[in-house]
Order: sequence, then structure tokens, then C-alpha cells
Amino acid sequence: MQMQRILVALFLFLAIPLAQAEKPSSDENKSESHEAGHSASTHGDDDEHAGHAEGLSANAPVIFKLGPLQITNSMFVTMIVALGIIIIAQMATSNIQLIPSGLQNFVELLVESLYGFFESIVGTDMVKQTFWFFGTTFIFILFANWFGLIPGIGTIGYTYQDYGLFHNHHLDAPLMRGVNADVNMTFAMSGMFMVLWLYWSLKALGAGGFIGHIFNVKGHGSGFFGVFLVLVFIFVGFVEIVSISVRPVALTFRLYGNVFAGENILETVMKLGGPWFGWLAVLPFYLLELLVGLVQALVFSLLAAVFTALMCEHHGDEHGEEHAH
Amino acid sequence: MTGSLHIGLAALGSAIGVGLVGMKAAEATGRNPGAAGEIRTQAIIFAALAEGVVFIAIFLGKMGA
Repeated sequence: MQMQRILVALFLFLAIPLAQAEKPSSDENKSESHEAGHSASTHGDDDEHAGHAEGLSANAPVIFKLGPLQITNSMFVTMIVALGIIIIAQMATSNIQLIPSGLQNFVELLVESLYGFFESIVGTDMVKQTFWFFGTTFIFILFANWFGLIPGIGTIGYTYQDYGLFHNHHLDAPLMRGVNADVNMTFAMSGMFMVLWLYWSLKALGAGGFIGHIFNVKGHGSGFFGVFLVLVFIFVGFVEIVSISVRPVALTFRLYGNVFAGENILETVMKLGGPWFGWLAVLPFYLLELLVGLVQALVFSLLAAVFTALMCEHHGDEHGEEHAH
Repeated sequence: MTGSLHIGLAALGSAIGVGLVGMKAAEATGRNPGAAGEIRTQAIIFAALAEGVVFIAIFLGKMGA
């Protein structure tokens, strides 16, 4: 179990650079054209703020290159967070006691309450084979979101122009950036979930059961009304397919949109407070972002669990019935 | 003044939706405090689904423009 979790963390850790190691030329073109469009629009609507009110760039800038691999600042933070989680998990489990204390106690509390929570959603059978994914995504998203709030994450870095040592311009390439403020990361996670979801559903229902679950054509009786219902349920099946294929997109943009908007809110409010009281104005929004970080981590893993439970519900239903009575 | 009307409308609708979810969740917890945990789970799911509409509107709008 533990080995599996470490493997998953390593996989996440290694797969992300690969996903971004596309042709560098097209990537640069895209970022250039995007920046051109962006600056044109900002110059268009507010000329007085054109100097510095830029906000966070939509794509994560590259901070250094390892051979053909481009390391962006959000990948850099991904690796830091993943390494931190792996190290803490290793420290907590290196010397396991029967009566836990300290770090081991805390980690056990986190993992066991998560396990109970997901067990109540996907059922006792499914949670054994799916918990490693839901638990890992929850913990990773939570700590990635909170790590992104540490002061200095978006404010230390490089500028492409020379503004001098003391300036109030937005950085062109911050050294670090919130992990989930990069759409590649959230898409990687939701894409991986959909692949796993397909695997789990096919394993639990079989190919015939999977199709039957979507198109639900059996057991509507015979006669004219039965045939009519079958036609209706075939139509409902197509609607269901559309709804299923929207899921990864919605999961991706929900997490990305929330974190990206959060970073922009913090920056805008910091500027509204002026040079002396920016820190005070932004304080309540930091508390809001702590809450949003937790809720979005919960929402992502919870929705993933609910989608799994919806498909594999013939296990879940029986348990649900038992609990209800 | 610039902006996107469709994003504003989507945000309006989903804010109403999230508000309704929150209202009913609070009411339900008041009626049956014992079920608070399950109600919270469901409320988060449905609030997230209502909220997702805005993000879809934002990104569809960006792709269209």
C-alpha cells in the first residue's frame, strides 16, 4: 500500500515534465502571441495602469532548461511540494509505533479520516482500490494550494527588462508559482482521473455492464410504452455520454479557475492598499484563500469519488440501503 | 466600459445557485443536526457543480474571442 503511494507520487512527479516537454518552438510562439494580445488589450482599456497592472500571466513562464526539457516555475513548485510530502510521509512512517505520537499521529489522523470519508462515498469495496488516488490528490492539491500562499512565491524572480533594483513592476518570470494556477497541472490530474475512472468502471461492471449502465435499456416492460421508454433511455444515454465527457473539462477549469482567480485577487487587492497598507488590505483575502485552497482540494477529490461511485453504484447501492434502514 | 456579458450572466446564475444550495443546507442542518456531515458533503458537491458553470462560460468565452 505504502509502496503504491510512493510510486504514484513519483509518477505524478515524473509525468508532469513529460507532458510539458512539447516542441519548444510552438510553445514560444504561443506565449509570444498571447503576450502580444494581452498587452494590446491592457493598453486599449486603461492607459494609466499600462505600466504595471498586468496580473498573473495565463501561462507559466519557463525558468530554466534541462536539455530538451523546459522547467516552468509551476513545475518547480510541483517538485518542491511532492518532495515535501514524500519526505514527511517517510519521516512519519520510518519508526512506526503501535501507540502513535507526534508526526506519526498527525499523519495517521489525516489518512484515516480521509479513508473514512471516502469510504462513506464510494463504499467499502471500492475504497480499497481507489483510496490511493483520492487521498493522494486531496493531500497534494491541499498542500500545493497552501504552499502557493507563502509570501515570496510570486514575488521573487526575473524580469526581462531592467527596471532597477527597486521597482513595482510585475515580474516576467517569478521563480515560483502556485501549482494549480497552471492549467497543465489540473488537466493532467483530471485526465489521469478519467483514465482511472474508465478502468475502475470497466473492472466493476464489465464492458457490457458499462454500456448497459449508460443506456439502461433493460426492464421497461413490453408493448408500445416499453418500446417508447427504451427509445427515451437511449436518448438519455447520449446525454449521459456528453455529461461524462464534460467532467474532466469542468474538473480542470474549476480548480485552475479558483486558484488562478485567487492569485489575481491577492495581487489586485495588494495594489489597492497602496504602498504602505497593501499587507493589511490583503490579510482577509489570505484567510479566504486558505479556505478556498481547502475547499477546492476537497471538491476535486470529492467529485472524483462521486463520479466513481455513480458508475460503480451496484456495490454502493446495497450498502446505502442497509445504512438507510 | 468593457467586459463580457455572458460571463456576468453565468456568474449571476451560479451565484444564485450556490446561494440556494447554501440556504437549504443550513436549513437542513438546523432540522437534523445529526446528519450535518452528509449534508455538508452533498452541499459541497452541488455547490461545486453550480459553480462550474462560470468557469465553463469564462473559458468558452476566451476560446470564442
